[in-house]
Amino acid sequence: MNDILRIGSKLALICAVAAISLGLVNAVTEPKINQMREQKLMNALKQVAVGMEVGKYKKVADNPVVKGYYPLRDNSGKQKGYIFDLVGMGYGGDLDIIAGVSTKGKILSVVMMNDQETPGLGKEAENPEYMKKYIGTGEISPVPVRKSQLSQEEADAITGASITFMGIGKALEAASDFAKKEGVE
Amino acid sequence: MLKEFTKGIFRENPIFIIVLGLCPALGVSTKVINAIGMGAGVIFVLLGSNIFVSLLKNFIPEKVRIPSYIVIIASFVTIVQMVMEAFAPALYKSLGVFVPLIVVNCIILGRAEAFANKNTVMSSIMDALGMGVGFTLALLLIAFIRESLGAGTITLFPVGSFSGVIRIPVLADNPIRVFGLAAGALLVIGFLKAFFNWYSERRAR
Repeated sequence: MNDILRIGSKLALICAVAAISLGLVNAVTEPKINQMREQKLMNALKQVAVGMEVGKYKKVADNPVVKGYYPLRDNSGKQKGYIFDLVGMGYGGDLDIIAGVSTKGKILSVVMMNDQETPGLGKEAENPEYMKKYIGTGEISPVPVRKSQLSQEEADAITGASITFMGIGKALEAASDFAKKEGVE
Repeated sequence: MLKEFTKGIFRENPIFIIVLGLCPALGVSTKVINAIGMGAGVIFVLLGSNIFVSLLKNFIPEKVRIPSYIVIIASFVTIVQMVMEAFAPALYKSLGVFVPLIVVNCIILGRAEAFANKNTVMSSIMDALGMGVGFTLALLLIAFIRESLGAGTITLFPVGSFSGVIRIPVLADNPIRVFGLAAGALLVIGFLKAFFNWYSERRAR
């Protein structure tokens, strides 16, 4: 009995020290990390907006994929499209995606913000090159969500990571449908 | 003391001789740069966990040593990840994905259990460095073979105007794609392991 207590308290002590040191490190690093993430979001928005003006963020409650959007307006204040804040299903968890979509549902630009995909396979989606296969789709041609909708070369490039590819495709498809339905706000 | 360092590189190479840490070796050896990243992360965490396990070896009760090691390793990995994300975002971007993977790397727990809890801090440091470097070299070798045959490229860090990608003329146009996939990883590791076995047996004779 005494033995169990002794062992248990030693293990508890190790855990407590570990927890305290993690807490301390977190207190120091968290504000910096948040600041960095905000900066990253601002940069991504600028990149996706392609010179247009980004409006105020609006939350979308009743959509599993579209978390919210920023309206995109040109110089005269006319709405040209949306920047969507999307969450897709990847191989290693949620994919946080920012995408610019025209009011007719055409995918203009895509940036992967956050993911836990496998390095060397699904992680390739962080590469701006990777998103080229989606851009321009959604209005006339459908957003690719299956390998068979890609060219041979593009299909080869995603071999071993088709779940990531479908996850992004499905999120973008939902964004495109949302923009089509909503049209101009 | 130096022997503790050199043994990890060849005689007790973690991947080819002890066969520890195969999962990350299979998973991230698609590109040379990934091997560098994973290797650096492992050396760092292995060093930290070996030091702490060795320091606490008389404090940790025998019966709960494995949970204790895991707590130490996991906290160390988390601290490394948080500090890197906050203060070295560029490094975090290229190495960050490997850091959480290191918790489940059996080399770390293996060295804590097999070496650090029986030896002094100094030898544990040498052991960690040797094992870490041995793991990195093994990973580099596998990644180099896989990437050059499977994609016809060698990806390193981008420096200045150099994009970081070296193309190998003939192979880049006709890559042997199977080497880039999981099956190719198993093939490469199998052949390398066979070579290491043959070589160390011959040396022993």
